[in-house]
Amino acid sequence: MRSHKVIEIRNLTLSTYIIKMEKKDFTFKTGQYITLGFSGSIDRREYSIYSSEQDNFLEVLIKEVEDGLVSKKLKRCKPGDYLDVDGPFGHFSLKEDEISKKKFLFIATGTGISPIHSFIATHPNMDYQLLHGVRMKEEAYERESYQNNNYILCTSREKSGDFHGRVTEYLKENPVPSDTVCYLCGNCHMIYEAYDILEKQGINLGPIHTEVYF
Amino acid sequence: MKKVAFKTLGCRLNQYETDAIASHFQNNGFKLVPFDKEADVYVINSCTVTHQSDHKSRNFINQANRKNPDSVLVVTGCMANNAKTELEGRDEINYVVENDQKSSVYSLVEAHYNGEIFHPSKMNSDLFAYGSTDKGFHTRSMVKIQDGCDNFCTFCIIPSVRGRAVSRPIQDILNNVKSVVANGAKEVVLTGVNIGRYEYEHYRFDDIVEQILDLNGDFRLRISSIEPDGFGDKFLGLLNHPKMTPHLHLCLQSGSDSILLQMRRMYNIKRFKEIVNKVRSIRPDFNITTDIIIGFPNESDQDFESTCNIIKELQFGHVHAFKYSIRKGTRAERMTAQVDERIKTLRSETLRKVAEDVKLQYRNQFIGKEQIVLVEKTDGENAKGYGEHYLPVEFKGYELKKNHFYKVKITDINKDIDPVLIGEQVK
Repeated sequence: MRSHKVIEIRNLTLSTYIIKMEKKDFTFKTGQYITLGFSGSIDRREYSIYSSEQDNFLEVLIKEVEDGLVSKKLKRCKPGDYLDVDGPFGHFSLKEDEISKKKFLFIATGTGISPIHSFIATHPNMDYQLLHGVRMKEEAYERESYQNNNYILCTSREKSGDFHGRVTEYLKENPVPSDTVCYLCGNCHMIYEAYDILEKQGINLGPIHTEVYF
Repeated sequence: MKKVAFKTLGCRLNQYETDAIASHFQNNGFKLVPFDKEADVYVINSCTVTHQSDHKSRNFINQANRKNPDSVLVVTGCMANNAKTELEGRDEINYVVENDQKSSVYSLVEAHYNGEIFHPSKMNSDLFAYGSTDKGFHTRSMVKIQDGCDNFCTFCIIPSVRGRAVSRPIQDILNNVKSVVANGAKEVVLTGVNIGRYEYEHYRFDDIVEQILDLNGDFRLRISSIEPDGFGDKFLGLLNHPKMTPHLHLCLQSGSDSILLQMRRMYNIKRFKEIVNKVRSIRPDFNITTDIIIGFPNESDQDFESTCNIIKELQFGHVHAFKYSIRKGTRAERMTAQVDERIKTLRSETLRKVAEDVKLQYRNQFIGKEQIVLVEKTDGENAKGYGEHYLPVEFKGYELKKNHFYKVKITDINKDIDPVLIGEQVK
C-alpha cells in the first residue's frame, strides 16, 4: 500500500467527481482497478482507474453513494491530502494482439465508463464504438474525451442524449457485427441483459468481457 | 520424546502446509500424536473462509488448552491473518503465525525450547520454503505451485489473508515432483489458492502440467481445486494423458448468471457447461466436483432452483456446499439484500438432498468397471483408498500394501452419505 498525494478534485456533476493523484512509480494495465481510502483508515473502496497507462498522474472517477461512507469522505478531500492506494487488481484488460486489429464495442453504464475511458486514452487509435447509458445528459462524463462519432449517449430519463432509452434497447435496434469484441462495464442488470442480446446477435461467448459495478 | 499434535481446517493448501510442518517436526525428533491427546506442542492451521470455520478454529484452540494448558500453542493459517489482534490477545496462545511465516513454525518452536523467543513476524517469509511432506497425514503427495489470489470475488476474504497471487519457479516445482516421486510418491496433487492463474516468466498453468506429465516415474497427477476461468484448450488436451487422473474440482459457486455476476466470477453458466462438456467428451465418466455457496446476497428462490438444476444436469460427483457468511472487508459485506439465515438453512437441506442423489447416481455407474486404487490403509487383506476418479474404494485382496496401486473390479456400492465403492482385487 502506498500513499499518493491528491493533486486535484474535478467535480463533473453534483455527485460525481474525479480525484487526480500523483502517480509516483505506480504501474497498471489499462482496465484494472485500485482500492482507495484515506491514509491510515481501514475503510477502503474499489475504483477502476480512469487515466491512461502513459499519463503521469493517476485518476479515478467516483460517484457519491447515498448513505455511502467512503465516497462521501473522498469527495471532501483536498489537494495536498494523502490517500492510500493498493493494487492494481483485476483482469478486465484488452488483449495486446487485438488492439490494433479488431473492432471494439464498449458498453458502459454510469461510472462504469471509467475503465473504458482508460482503454481509449491508452490506445487512442483503436477502432471502437462506445455506448454510454445514463439517466440524464449531464452524466455524459467528459464526453469530449471521445471522438464524437464513436460515442453514443443513451439517456433513459430524458430525450437529451443521442438515443432515448437504455443501452440494451439501443443494442436491440442496432445489431452488432459478429466479429466485434465487446466489453461491458456497469451494473449487473445491464450486463446480464446485454449479454443475452449480444449472444442472440451471434457474438461468440469468448470476446465478451464484463466488469460489474454495484 | 516431545509430542506434537496438529489440527488443519479448510483447503487442500492448508493440508499440504500442515503435512510439511508435521514432517519437519518428526524429522527433528518429535512424535506425532492425535489432536485429542495430550501433547507438548499444538499447531492449529486455521481457516477463515466462513463464520463456521472461525468458530471451529476457536473451539480447537480451547480444546488444546484444556488438554495441556502448559503446551506451546501455535495458531497459524488464514484466521491468524484475519483475526490477529484477537488471537494475540489470548494468553493461552503462544504464537500467532501469519501465512507468510507459516513455513517457520518448527523453527519458532525449536527456538522457544532453546529459550529464544522470536516474534513470528521476524521469521522467514518465503511462501515456498516448505520442506518435504513425506511424514505428513496423506498418502498422496501435495506439491505447492502457487499462493494468493488476484480475483477478488465479492464474497471472498482469501486475497486479504493469503495476499496477491505469487507463482513458484517452474524448476523448483519440477525438482519437487521428481524428489517426491523418487521417494515413493505414487500420486502428486498440485495445490495453491488459484492454480489456474499460475504464471512464472512465460510459463502458464498448462505448461507446468505438461512438463510434470512428461517426467519419468510410476506416478499419477491430480489437479486439485481450479477456477473455471484459469485455463484453455491446451490444458483440456492434457486430460487425455495416461498419468492424468480423471477428476477436477471445478468451482461453480452458483447456478445463476445473475448471482455469478454479483459474485464477480469470471465466467457464466454457458461457459461453465461448455468446459464440463468438453471434459466429458474426453472421458464421459470424468469426475467433476464443485463448490456451491448457498444464500449469497440477492439469491432468489429462482436463482437457488437454477443451482439445484445445474447440479442435476452436470452430474457432479460431489458438491461441497456451504452457507454464505459475511466476511468483513469484502464487497459483498456491503450488499444490502442479505438472505435470512433460516432460508439459507432450508436451501442447504434441499441442496444436500439433491447433491446426495446425484452423487449416488454418478458413483453407481462404476459398478462392473475397474479402478486403479492407491491404497491408504490396509491390514493386508482389506484395503481402503482412492481410485483414479478420486472415489473412495474398499476392496479385498492378497498381501496388500499401503501406497501401492491395485487394479480393482467394482462389484457394489455402500449407500452411505458418502457412498463407497466396494470391489475385489483383479489379479
